Amino acid sequence: MSTASVPAIESAVVARHTRSYGLAHADWLKLWKRRGLFWTIFAMTVGAEIVAYGVLAILHAANPAHHGPAGGISNLGHGMFILNLLGAVAATVVGASAGSGDLSAGVFRELVVTGRSRLALFAARVPGGLAFLLPFTAVAFAIAAVVSATANGFLPAPSVTLMVESGLWVLAEAAFYFIVSLGLASLTGSRAYTIGILLAWRLILSRILMSISFLGVFREVVPDVHFTRLVPAGVAETLREGPHVPTSLGASIAVLLIWLAVWLAVWLAIGAWRTATRDA
Amino acid sequence: MPRGVAFGYLGPNGAGKTTLIRMLLGLTAAYGGTMTIRGLPVPKRRSEALSRVGAIVDEPRFHGHLTGRENLGVVAAARGRESFGRIQPSLERVGLAQRADERVRAYSMGMRQRLGIARCLLSDPELLILDEPMNGLDPAGILEFRHLIRSLVAEGRTVMLSSHLLDEVEKTCDYVAIVDRGEIVTQGPIDEMRGVDQPRVLIGVVDQLETAKELLEAVTGVVDVRIEEGLLQLALADFDLIPELNERLVGAGFAVRRLEPVQASLEQRFLAITSRLEDA
Repeated sequence: MSTASVPAIESAVVARHTRSYGLAHADWLKLWKRRGLFWTIFAMTVGAEIVAYGVLAILHAANPAHHGPAGGISNLGHGMFILNLLGAVAATVVGASAGSGDLSAGVFRELVVTGRSRLALFAARVPGGLAFLLPFTAVAFAIAAVVSATANGFLPAPSVTLMVESGLWVLAEAAFYFIVSLGLASLTGSRAYTIGILLAWRLILSRILMSISFLGVFREVVPDVHFTRLVPAGVAETLREGPHVPTSLGASIAVLLIWLAVWLAVWLAIGAWRTATRDA
Repeated sequence: MPRGVAFGYLGPNGAGKTTLIRMLLGLTAAYGGTMTIRGLPVPKRRSEALSRVGAIVDEPRFHGHLTGRENLGVVAAARGRESFGRIQPSLERVGLAQRADERVRAYSMGMRQRLGIARCLLSDPELLILDEPMNGLDPAGILEFRHLIRSLVAEGRTVMLSSHLLDEVEKTCDYVAIVDRGEIVTQGPIDEMRGVDQPRVLIGVVDQLETAKELLEAVTGVVDVRIEEGLLQLALADFDLIPELNERLVGAGFAVRRLEPVQASLEQRFLAITSRLEDA
């Protein structure tokens, strides 16, 4: 290396490090650089799918007569079932981190004193967090889709339409729980409380609500009911093998979509309001 | 507050120093009155007013898992595109360019303070508001920080330094205001606040204090003579009278053992004012 080229390389490095970007990118960066968070989300999404399909493939290879192939439509459903459980938890963790990260680090006030609107600071967390979360979810689903389509053996392979619908469903569910968690974390200012509250809601309270039959159609307010109703038909049966979720309480798909939109709007509004009004 | 000076903002604990700063910066809500920064009303035009303001409230806070440069990038993203071009010059200015790509959690307190100043410089500030910026710094760090503030003032920037370290304010600032119970009690140039507009001198003679007092009272330009703790304390019209006083005493046969101009300190003035307020 010539001595003359060193300053040029240094200035190129500096130029790369100081390239301008927006608030959403900054929010993505804060999440991306958390090594613990990165590997946790990786394990809950991509890692879980690799382990699940790896085990299925090993079992099939070891005893094909007793264990079917790792692929096929039903195993696509199993892969989605894993993402339904762990992916939603991952979305909750990312949302809680995105919503409370600046506050817990004490950096929120440093951002407020820039004069930037607090609503803009809150709004940037949505694309920033989704840009961090959804690639993990997408890669995890891609693993499920590829294995289901290529390692199906004698089982029927999922159609392209089913895979696209299933992929969108998985991404939508992850985005939904991310936004709910983001709004709650912006309200509480605490990552731990947010994760605890949402896990308690999803794993315990919502199950209890859904099993109380005299609540009737009011059980439609529980998001798990909406997502169970909206799951693509080809994988619906497999996904419903898990905890009991009522599949039809009477509301139309349009009403379910409106309920989901209301959930999102309420939590975004709560998060925005608290971000705009809290002492920094 | 005059422009282009280091402005010390003093007050006893609970006087309202930090509260005022937090309201000015939009960190907490104000419920009455009017405020302006750079001639612009806040919070009505907060964004515009703060666009050329840098601030450190208490200790500067950062995302520990990000590097110094990335932390500045996060704030530059909030400030706007042109701030990214100031990241490298700001790091060089505070002497952190070589350590900028290390994670902030590895930084010392002094390095964090300097990074806080670098963050302030991203806005090319007309006004820097520093609340207790020297807390936690060792003597070398305090000296370095003082020089940094003076160099910023030399560039025509205004620095507002809120501190309970009277000695530091005295050494660093040109103007000072004393606040108590939310109101500014007095303010002015630091020399005026110290009381150096009234030159004073302490004189010690071996004996015959009363005779020496009578002799000195007859000198033109001597405003007041008192005997305190075995010394003559004189208020003068001008410090240039001191050689003449010495000549008079020696000529009259007095053995002069001490002759010392009195450097009134800001601390004395501050304590005098605040204790007077407490007595009121």
